[in-house]
Amino acid sequence: MTAPLSLERLRSDVAEVLAEEPGSFADDENLIDRGLDSIRLMTLATQWREAGFEAGYLDLAQEPTVAAWWNLLEGKR
Amino acid sequence: MNANIETADVVVVGGGPGGSTTATLLAKRGHRVVLLEKETFPRYQIGESLLPSTVHGIGRMLGVTEELEKASFMVKRGGSFRWGTNPVPWNFLFAVAPELSGPTSYAYQVERMKFDEILLRNAARNGVDVRENVDVKEVIGDDERVRGIRLADGHEIHATFVVDASGNRSRIHQGVRGERIYSDFFQNIALFGYFEGGKRLPAPDSGNILCAAFDEGWMWYIPLSDTLTSVGAVISREHAAKLQGDQEQSLLGFVDRCEIVKDFLSDATRVTEGTYGEIRTRKDYSYTNSTFHRPGMVLVGDAACFIDPVFSTGVHLATYAGLLAARSINTVLAGDLAEDRVFEEFEGRYRREYRVFYEFLSAFYDMQSNEESYFWKARKVTNFNATDLEAFVSLVGGVHSGEQALVQNFRESSGALADAVERTGTMQTESGERMHHLFGTPVVREVMQEMNNIQVRGVQGTAARELPLLEDGLVPAADGLSWVSVGEAK
Ligand SMILES: Cc1cc2nc3c(=O)[nH]c(=O)nc-3n(C[C@H](O)[C@H](O)[C@H](O)COP(=O)(O)OP(=O)(O)OC[C@H]3O[C@@H](n4cnc5c(N)ncnc54)[C@H](O)[C@@H]3O)c2cc1C
Repeated sequence: MTAPLSLERLRSDVAEVLAEEPGSFADDENLIDRGLDSIRLMTLATQWREAGFEAGYLDLAQEPTVAAWWNLLEGKR
Repeated sequence: MNANIETADVVVVGGGPGGSTTATLLAKRGHRVVLLEKETFPRYQIGESLLPSTVHGIGRMLGVTEELEKASFMVKRGGSFRWGTNPVPWNFLFAVAPELSGPTSYAYQVERMKFDEILLRNAARNGVDVRENVDVKEVIGDDERVRGIRLADGHEIHATFVVDASGNRSRIHQGVRGERIYSDFFQNIALFGYFEGGKRLPAPDSGNILCAAFDEGWMWYIPLSDTLTSVGAVISREHAAKLQGDQEQSLLGFVDRCEIVKDFLSDATRVTEGTYGEIRTRKDYSYTNSTFHRPGMVLVGDAACFIDPVFSTGVHLATYAGLLAARSINTVLAGDLAEDRVFEEFEGRYRREYRVFYEFLSAFYDMQSNEESYFWKARKVTNFNATDLEAFVSLVGGVHSGEQALVQNFRESSGALADAVERTGTMQTESGERMHHLFGTPVVREVMQEMNNIQVRGVQGTAARELPLLEDGLVPAADGLSWVSVGEAK
C-alpha cells in the first residue's frame, strides 16, 4: 500500500505531516524548528513501523532530523 | 407490552467519566442509549488528577475540548515525586523534552464535580437519554445473555447491551458472573481533605501533582486552584481502625510526619465547610474482575478494575475502557463482527492496560526502599514468592511467561526505573527536564503506547493510523468508533 522506506519517502512523509513542500527543508535541519511536535512525531513513528522501521517515537525524538533518522533506519533494519 | 417495560439499544449504568464516555461514543453512531445515574449532578468524587490522553485524546473524541479549556482547570505538566533515594523531588513530565511540546505535554487537575458534569451534559447533547436520580437495582437476563436492567420500583429497560459503569461501590458488576480479585500488595486506604492557602511548587511545575513518600505510606498534594489544594494520605489498611476516631487528627498527624507536605501546608487552613469541608476515607484496594464481559453486558471503569492512584490512572482507565466498550458495541450493533470476537479485543486491550500500569506501580513502590517501615517492606515486589506470583497472575490475567520470567521481569523493571530516575535527577535541572531515560524504560514505554495512540486519534481524527495492539488483533475503524479486521482498515 505504501512505498518502501527510502530516504525519499522519509522526506516526503515529513513534508506531509508538516504540511510543507518536499525539499523546503534540509536533511540536517532540526524539524522542531519546522513545527514538528509530539503528535506528528508519533504519527511518523507509526507509519514507519508499519513499513518495518522498528524505531519508536522516542528514538526519533533523540535527534529530530531526516539525516539522523535515515542513519537510524540504515543501522536498524 | 407492559407499561413498565421500555427498550433501548444500550443501557449505561453510572454517569461518571466511564459511563459518559461510553454513552457519548455510542450515541455518535446513532444508537438509542439510556444512561441512568443514581445521584443528581454535580456530585462529589475523588480522582482529580488527570492524564493527557484523557484530556486530549478522549476529550477531543467526545468534543469537550473547548469546554474543558473554558473551565480554567489547573494545568498540570506532570507529576513531581519525593520518592526513592533522591531527597529532593524529581519530575515525571508528560513532554519528553521542553522543546517538543504539543497537546501531549499537559493535562488538568480537576474538581470532579465540574469535570464529570461537563462530560455528562455533553452526553445528553449528543443524544444520550440521561436520567439522574435513578438507582438501578439489578441486571436482568438468562443463561444465554444479559437482557436489561430493573429499577427498585419494578420498571425495566430491555436492551441489547448493558454497560456497567457504576463505580466501585455498586454490585451491578456481579451480573457478568465473575469475581473481584484483590491485589495482595496494594490494599491501602486513603484519608483526604482540602486546604486553602497551601504553597505551590515553583513555576512551571506549580500545577503538578506532588506525591511524597513517608514512613507510613505516601501523600498526594493536588493544586485545584491557586489557593485550593486536595491533600490525601495513602496508608496501610492496618490503620483502618485508628481512622474510625478523630479523622482530622489522623490526617493532620500524617501531614505532620510527611516533611514536604508539612512545609507546604505550614500557612494553610483546612477547609471545614461545604463539599470540601468533609474529611473522607476510601478503601483504596487494587482489584480486577475475573471477567469484564458476558454476552449482553460489559464492565467499564471502577466497576471492572481499580489500581492504586499514585499515577492518576483511574479516570484514564475508565475513559479508555469507555472507548473500547463503545467500539465493541458499535461493531456488534452494526453487524460487522461477532460479539465474542470484539469483546476478546476489548478484554485483551483493557487487561493489557491494567497489567502495564500494575507492573509500573509495582516497580515504583519497589523503588522507595525503607527497611524500617512496615508499609514499604510489605510492598517490595523483589521479595515476591511463588504464591505472590500466582496471585499476581490471576489478578492481571492474560499472558505471562512463567514464574521465573516474571520475577526476572519485575527485578528488571524495578532496576531500570530506579536507574532512570537517578539519571533524570532533580526537578528543574537540565537533565530533570528531559524524560528520555524514564520514557525509555520498557515498562514506561508500554504504559505510554495506548495513551499515545489515543492522543494521536484525538488530534488527527480520521487521519490517524493505528497498528494492531494485540497479536491477530483488530484495529479501530477510520472514525475510531468501531473495530475492523486489519485487512479492511486499508
Ligand atoms: C483515594 C483515591 C484517589 C484517586 N485519585 C485519582 C486521581 O488522582 N486521578 C484519577 O484519574 N483517578 C483517581 N482515582 C480513581 C478515580 O476516582 C476512579 O477511578 C474514577 O472515578 C472511576 O470512574 P468511573 O466512571 O468508573 O466511576 P465513578 O466516577 O465512581 O462513577 C460511577 C457513577 O455511578 C453511579 N452509580 C453507582 N451505582 C449506581 C446504580 N446502582 N445506579 C445508577 N448509578 C449508579 C454513581 O453515583 C457514580 O456517579 C482515585 C481513587 C481513590 C480511591
